[in-house]
Amino acid sequence: MSISLLTGSEAAAYAAKLARIEVLSYYPITPAFPAMERISKFIEDGEMNTRFVRVECDHSALAAALGASLAGSRTFTVTNSQGLLYMTEVVYHTAGLRQPVVMAVANRALSAPHSRFPEHGDAISQDASGWIQLFCENNQEVLDTTLQAFKVAEACRLPAMVNYEGYIQSHTQEEVDVPDQVKVDAFLPFTRIAALDINNPMGLNTVTSPEFYMDYKYRQNEALEQALSFIDSASAEYGSLFGRNWAGAVEGYKMEDAEHVLVAMGSSVSDARIVIDALRAEGKKVGLIKVRSFRPFPAEALRSLLGKASLVTVLDKNIVFGSGGALGNELKATLYGYSSVPVKNVILGLGGRDVGPAEIRQVVGLAEERAKQDTAYEWFGL
Amino acid sequence: MAKNLPVVPSAKPGTMAEAPSGIAWREQHPVIGTGCNQCLVCTLYCPEGALKLEAGKVTVVLNLCNGCGTCAVECPQKAIVMEPEFRGDRGVFPLKEAK
Repeated sequence: MSISLLTGSEAAAYAAKLARIEVLSYYPITPAFPAMERISKFIEDGEMNTRFVRVECDHSALAAALGASLAGSRTFTVTNSQGLLYMTEVVYHTAGLRQPVVMAVANRALSAPHSRFPEHGDAISQDASGWIQLFCENNQEVLDTTLQAFKVAEACRLPAMVNYEGYIQSHTQEEVDVPDQVKVDAFLPFTRIAALDINNPMGLNTVTSPEFYMDYKYRQNEALEQALSFIDSASAEYGSLFGRNWAGAVEGYKMEDAEHVLVAMGSSVSDARIVIDALRAEGKKVGLIKVRSFRPFPAEALRSLLGKASLVTVLDKNIVFGSGGALGNELKATLYGYSSVPVKNVILGLGGRDVGPAEIRQVVGLAEERAKQDTAYEWFGL
Repeated sequence: MAKNLPVVPSAKPGTMAEAPSGIAWREQHPVIGTGCNQCLVCTLYCPEGALKLEAGKVTVVLNLCNGCGTCAVECPQKAIVMEPEFRGDRGVFPLKEAK
C-alpha cells in the first residue's frame, strides 16, 4: 500500500497498469488525454508490457480495442464527449459482440456550443448501448472501480465504462492508495477468451436474420441485468481484500429515518455528503443515495432504499432534451407503481457550471419549498 | 424462451452457403402451379434470373430469388403463387405445391 497524490486520469492509468492491460488503443482528447500520457510513460519506462495502438480517430480507437479484445487481449481505452460520440457505432458493436473492453470516460459536455468542461451528457448519450456504466465520486474510486470494471466486464462478457468528470476529477489531485500488484493479481486473474481463434475460425458479426437477432438482444440484455450482482460481488471482494468497499451498484448514506433523500452520481456525491453531514448536525432528517451503476440500473435496491422517503431530489448533470434528467427519469420509472413519493428532478452543473456543497444545500432548500409543485424537472443555477 | 446462441454473435464458415440463400431476409418466394404453360414470360421479367426451364418445367432457383413477386404479377396464366417464407415453425422452409 502506498499513498500518492494522483489526478483522476493518473488513477485510471495506475489501474490500467495494475490490471496488466495488454493493449491500449487511444486517440488524444481533452480532458481524457493525461491517462494516455501516463500509460505511455509506463510503457516507455518498461513498467508495462502493453501494445499502444496509435490511431487516427476515436472511432478507430475503439475499433482497434474491439479487435484486440476479440483476439483475446485485456484491452483499455480512454475518451470523452466528442470522442465518445464519434465512436458510438463501435460502442454498440463492442457490447453486441460481448467484448469486455474497459473504457475510462473523463465526462465532458457535448457540442454545440463547444465546451471543454464537465457534465455527464456524453455518458448519458450512450445509455442504451449495452455497456456497464459506473460513476465515481473521487480519484480513489476511479482506481478501485477501474480494477473492478475489468472483473465485472470479463465475468459478464460485456464492456464497461468508468466515468469520472473532466477537470473536477481528471485534473485534480487527491490522495490515492495504489494497491500492491500482488494483491491486484489475486483479485483480477485473467482468463484469455479469444473469439478470433485460428483453430476454430468463425464469421463474426454476420448478417443476422429476424429469426435470431432478437434472441441475441435478449441474451445481451439478460447479461447486462445479471451484471448487477457481479458489480456487488466484485465490490465486496475488493472491499475485503483492500479495505475499501464502494457498496456495489448503489450506496445509501445516512439513510436511516431519512425523510428527504438526495440522489446523485459522480463528483456531486462527495459534495452532497458534506451537505448531508451539515444538515444532519442541524437535526434535519436527510439522506443520500449514490448511484454508482447507472447501467445496469439498480432498480430493486433503489425501491427498497426509498421505501420510507417523503421527498426525493435527483441531481442530474445532464439534460435529455424535451424530457428531463436521465437519472431523474430513470428513478421515476423505477418508483412508478411502488411509491407515490414526490421526485424533484434538478438539472444543474452543465458544461462546468460549478456545483459545490453551497449549491447543493440551496437545492435541498428549494426542493423542500417546492415539494408540492408538480414540475417534471427544474433548472438550477441559471 | 430465447434461443441458445453463441455469446459472440458468429457463425461457422459456410453457414450462409449451406442454407438456401435469401432465407435470412426474403419474405416470400414463388411456387409454380399446374397452370403453367411454359410461355417463359416470367423468365423475361425476373430481375435475378431466378426462373428457368428445366426438363420441360419452369423452376425457381431459390439461391437467386429475391422474393419480389414480379413473376406472379406478370404471369399471363396466373399460375405463380407467392408463398410466405416464415410460417408456423419459424426457420422451416415450406416448399408447397401451388394449386
